[in-house]
Amino acid sequence: MAGTLTNQIRTLRFLNGEMSQAELGQKIGVTRQTIAAIEAGKYSPTLEAAFRIAEVFGKPLDEVFQWTSGVA
Amino acid sequence: MPHREKIAWLLLVAMLACYVPYFTVAHFNPPPADLLPNLTQIRLLALVAIAHALIQGLGRLWFRIRSPEDARAPADERDRAIERRSTTVAYYVLMTGMILVGVMMPFTENGWTIVNAGLFMIVLAETFHYGIAVWSYRRSAA
Repeated sequence: MAGTLTNQIRTLRFLNGEMSQAELGQKIGVTRQTIAAIEAGKYSPTLEAAFRIAEVFGKPLDEVFQWTSGVA
Repeated sequence: MPHREKIAWLLLVAMLACYVPYFTVAHFNPPPADLLPNLTQIRLLALVAIAHALIQGLGRLWFRIRSPEDARAPADERDRAIERRSTTVAYYVLMTGMILVGVMMPFTENGWTIVNAGLFMIVLAETFHYGIAVWSYRRSAA
């Protein structure tokens, strides 16, 4: 099913003391480039990485990632 | 650029830089198919293989010296996903190539023609491997 995965990582990084992509990457065990790709919506993280990102920001998963179905 | 993308570029360029000239020579100046062993052809192949190994080795060393932390970092989930995808495609290319070379060509060809065709299929599969890795990294780059 077509759809779009969006996220609030950029905003959440800003709200957490302008946390850098490298810092976030280090906390969840991926590279800075992978965080940049996730943030830009060019790479969909695994469920495990998504939960880890949400955990870093202390937010539930659906406040970090949103799924918009492409089917009208 | 992630360390593993640099390595994929290096391996792709090294593969093309070494084997395109080799196969161009082999195509336009084919060795006699029935002359085995053909020391001239073996020497040429050895030269290409050594050059390929040297470029790869020196390139890896260069990247390791330039950014040792990136080089030490283990592959993350995106690296692994890209490796899975590129290896899968390369596997099918190699399987198809080996069926052509190992099952069909012995009925019509012999000697160096088969040797070079086998090598070509390996190089083609590896080119797909690194090419798809590079394309996947570029496609998902922010």
